[in-house]
Amino acid sequence: MYFPYFITYMALGFAISLAVFFWALKNGQFKDQKRARFLPLEDEHEPSAAKISTFHRYEAYVLVLLAVAGLAASGAVLIFALLNANGA
Amino acid sequence: MTDPTPTMPTNYPTAKGFCLTSAFWMVVATSMGLLGATELIAPDLTENVGWLVFGRIRPIHVNLVLFGFVTPGLLAAAFYYVPKLLRTELYSEKLGVITVLAWNFTMVFVVVSLALGYTQGREYAEMIWPIDMLIVGGFSLVFVNLIMTVARRKEPILYVSVWYVCAGIVLTAVTFCLGNVIWRPNTGSLVGIPDAILLWFYGHNVFGLLLTPLSAGVAYYVIPRACRAPLYSHTLSLFGFWSLLVVYTHIGTHHLLQVPVPTWLKVISIVDSVAMVIPVMAFLINIWYTAKGKLGEIHADIGAKFVFTGTIMYFFVSIQGSMMALPDVQRVTHFNNWVVAHAHVGVLGFAGMIALGGIYYILPRITGRPLYSRFLADFQYWMILIGVIGFTVVLTIVGLIQGNAWLNGETVYRVLPEMHVYYITRASLGLMIFSSALMGLYNIVRSIFFNTGEIS
Repeated sequence: MYFPYFITYMALGFAISLAVFFWALKNGQFKDQKRARFLPLEDEHEPSAAKISTFHRYEAYVLVLLAVAGLAASGAVLIFALLNANGA
Repeated sequence: MTDPTPTMPTNYPTAKGFCLTSAFWMVVATSMGLLGATELIAPDLTENVGWLVFGRIRPIHVNLVLFGFVTPGLLAAAFYYVPKLLRTELYSEKLGVITVLAWNFTMVFVVVSLALGYTQGREYAEMIWPIDMLIVGGFSLVFVNLIMTVARRKEPILYVSVWYVCAGIVLTAVTFCLGNVIWRPNTGSLVGIPDAILLWFYGHNVFGLLLTPLSAGVAYYVIPRACRAPLYSHTLSLFGFWSLLVVYTHIGTHHLLQVPVPTWLKVISIVDSVAMVIPVMAFLINIWYTAKGKLGEIHADIGAKFVFTGTIMYFFVSIQGSMMALPDVQRVTHFNNWVVAHAHVGVLGFAGMIALGGIYYILPRITGRPLYSRFLADFQYWMILIGVIGFTVVLTIVGLIQGNAWLNGETVYRVLPEMHVYYITRASLGLMIFSSALMGLYNIVRSIFFNTGEIS
């Protein structure tokens, strides 16, 4: 017997969705849409952009080396596989 | 009530906690993915190590990506933007921090239990009952915090991002209970076809009612801010939100078109899968028109760059999804690696990109200092972009090989050698994504804890 769970779930889903929708309608959530467009733009100043000076040079070298090593390993695996594709 | 009072300054511990959670579990999740991909090339690699066999690694990878990496990343941004948009403070940062801790403990239990072989064996619903309960508890804590913040808001209008995140959390908590059949703790399943229907109702709604709304919420906040332009249309965004709820909830059965489920249910799932073009285009038209002529501003902000790329991926994955629900297309594309390619475009290319974008967008704002390294973030962006596009190409090719071989009655052992080289390529691309996750973790940890940048 699984239908009671399905039906309860669907009934609850409909009821909650409709209740929220009509709350929104009554509460004026669908009015003043022109102002709503600007909501993300209100408040706070923008932080300054990332500065190169905060990035210590030696760390940059090590990390780039690691990343390049990762890429090189990926590339090497790929080339090796392609060269040996026929022998697989 | 519309007085633009600035919100009280906080240290955003909840948002920071979710940023770290996401970055850490991305490393673990991608390492599991890489290991799984390697095992597909070399099946004997872990043959005597029971807890590392493919059957255990794969669910760990999938569940960690879903609940460890992407969801916390999207929640990190939500815990920042919801109070901002409502011009109030978060209801309880303490509750938020408790949620972060509980969430991480849950992820540890997920890894340990699945590695030990405790599984309910249902895709996307593998976790055993106690862990199901912990996950529902985690979502409930998030929901209480967000809904109480909504109740205390000073801004009367709920911006569309708030709609999306609140709906996403509550719908997932409820759908998760149903999909995991929590009223049967021992098996976590029904019997026969009804179980398959229920499982895929939940399985697709994890994307449709969790990752999609949370990602849309982040995009609707980040893109207008990065472009310094109002949203193209708030009415259209609300239309997209409600149509998503109506349409997305019905499409799970498109995973079962080749199974004896009732035909009317299949028809509904196919029709609504195609109808998904409505909420998808409502979202994309809105975001892209907001960004129209302002791509320079998006390029200048690494967070917005991730998010905008995610929206492009959303376009591709959604169109692909609608097409894949058509029975004639599905005869070739289903039950093979085509679906794996599709899933990676959706979860990594769309939701994962937007989760990372949300993190990188809020980090300078919650720490008050510039991002530790824009260069590393940019590098990560390119590695993920190349990785996910590579995945898509390679796995789509493998999917077509498998699908056509199956249709032609080809035996499996003759097809496997043809797939081998593509699997190797996939694993090498996975290595790139794993490396990028390490880079992201380093960048995020340094941005939060050891940031010597100038306070803005």
